[in-house]
Amino acid sequence: MTESQVNLTTAATAIKPGRVGFSLHRVWIIGLNTFTESMRQKVFNILLIFALVAISSASFFTEFTFSEQLKFMKDFCLGAVSVFGTLIAIVGTAQLLPNELENRTIYTILAKPVRRLEFILGKYIGMALLLFISVLMMSLMLGAVLKIKEARMVMVAQQGVDQASTPDAREAAEGDLAQIRADTADLDIIKGIILIFIKLSLLAAITLLISTISTSMIFNVAVAFMVFFAGHLRSAATEAWAHHKIWLALLAILPDLGAFNVADDINLGNLIPWQHVGLVAADGLGRIVIILIATHLIFAKREI
Amino acid sequence: MRHKFLAILVLVLAAVLFSPLENRIQAERVWRKYGGARVSLPLREKLGQGTAVALLAGLRGVVADFLWIQNADYFVKDEWVPMYRNIELVTTLQPQSTTFWEQGAWHMGWNIGYSVSKDPKNENTAQGIRREREWHQKARDFLLRGIDNIPQQYDLYFALGWLYWTKLAKDCGENTDCQRAAYSKAAEYFGAAGEFPEAPTYIGREYARALEKCGRDRDAYEYWKTLWKADHKMTNQLWTEVERNIKRLEDALAIPEDKRVPRNKDDGSLQVPL
Repeated sequence: MTESQVNLTTAATAIKPGRVGFSLHRVWIIGLNTFTESMRQKVFNILLIFALVAISSASFFTEFTFSEQLKFMKDFCLGAVSVFGTLIAIVGTAQLLPNELENRTIYTILAKPVRRLEFILGKYIGMALLLFISVLMMSLMLGAVLKIKEARMVMVAQQGVDQASTPDAREAAEGDLAQIRADTADLDIIKGIILIFIKLSLLAAITLLISTISTSMIFNVAVAFMVFFAGHLRSAATEAWAHHKIWLALLAILPDLGAFNVADDINLGNLIPWQHVGLVAADGLGRIVIILIATHLIFAKREI
Repeated sequence: MRHKFLAILVLVLAAVLFSPLENRIQAERVWRKYGGARVSLPLREKLGQGTAVALLAGLRGVVADFLWIQNADYFVKDEWVPMYRNIELVTTLQPQSTTFWEQGAWHMGWNIGYSVSKDPKNENTAQGIRREREWHQKARDFLLRGIDNIPQQYDLYFALGWLYWTKLAKDCGENTDCQRAAYSKAAEYFGAAGEFPEAPTYIGREYARALEKCGRDRDAYEYWKTLWKADHKMTNQLWTEVERNIKRLEDALAIPEDKRVPRNKDDGSLQVPL
């Protein structure tokens, strides 16, 4: 008996005979097991590659100006968070249901007093937890490398201040020093990371929805990536088809994934108010709830 | 089958429900100038396959950075045409980056300009000079576009003032009217940059120097006096430089004793305003 089955049996013993009620406890157990299984598949190895990207982007490009170096580093690291997160969200979620079906573990789980809604929610929560931990760890790594980079750059900039030949040059060098400190201490980057996490959670929900229709993991991954690219093109397509009502209506089904990419703007020093972050987050979270309802509707009556 | 239709119906209803919110987000993005140029077919053709895919994946900043890093290679090899193309492309992708506009204009006005003036393919020196001036003009137009995109930061105003001061004024040769007009433009942009509270103090001093260069000595004197009247606890200001210029201009403009900035009796230095 697997760990998952043991936990579910324990949770199920508390249930009275008759109709099985919805239990958040069972959802949480399935979620934790999904998370543990993903860990066993060594998903976190991807963090090592991320560390390499972060350290490389901090070590190279020293021939560029301070502002360029910091921009490159933040862009590359946040890009890596987005790329690796997308891979985890799509590939990780795409295999959840096909694996359960192939290993036939789904039969033993659903044979117990576990609702299909609990099962699907548990799977999703496990994946969201995995994404949260991954994004958190990558962000912490980015913060650490940024601090190391700051120390190195401050040292070089200080030399510039000490060696300035004119008062104007000295003031410019002091300006560089202040700019480095301000850029590395910019906490607005958190807003970008929050929206990246919500985008990844949305992608996981979309992939889960796709995997309730198909049994092939490759199909799930391929379609999820298509939705990913189409989602990034949505605002451009909306503009291009502004006069085609039918196309616009069809486009509205797709989430606008481009709206979640505020990290670039934060790196450019653009002001991103919390109110805007809140709107995008509300849109993303709302979409996730709707997609999970649709997923449940399909999965509830699916023949297994 | 009924449940699948129901699921589709839920998704469609959600799309209708979320449309006003998403339209609001989109309108705010346009208003706040988030992102950059839309991913269009001409842009995709300029980018090439790999970078276009990265752009479609939402990695706009990474794509722009890669192109910019590629520029360093072109710079070393003196390949100015692809470098110029890249600069234009990068500022199309991220028009909100002051670094790209500023550094791009510097490449055009200084590096490319100098390089084409020394190009052995030039038929004569005059052609080299003409080509260099053309690049200075390109740098100016480029910075003007940059200011259109980022009017809320001082950096590009200062960069344009500096271009007028160091390059475009010299392009006038012996033509004093042209020189004066160029320094006047430099003063205009230094003045605009100096208006920003976060602008470094040397921009204000450059403004005063540019005013003098374009023949507005009286205005320059008044501006130095304005700087002197500021809070002297401000450690960044070069008070000795401000004082020296006030004294020099008072002599040059023959300002009457009673109209001059009051002196300390013991050492003749300017009195610090209370």
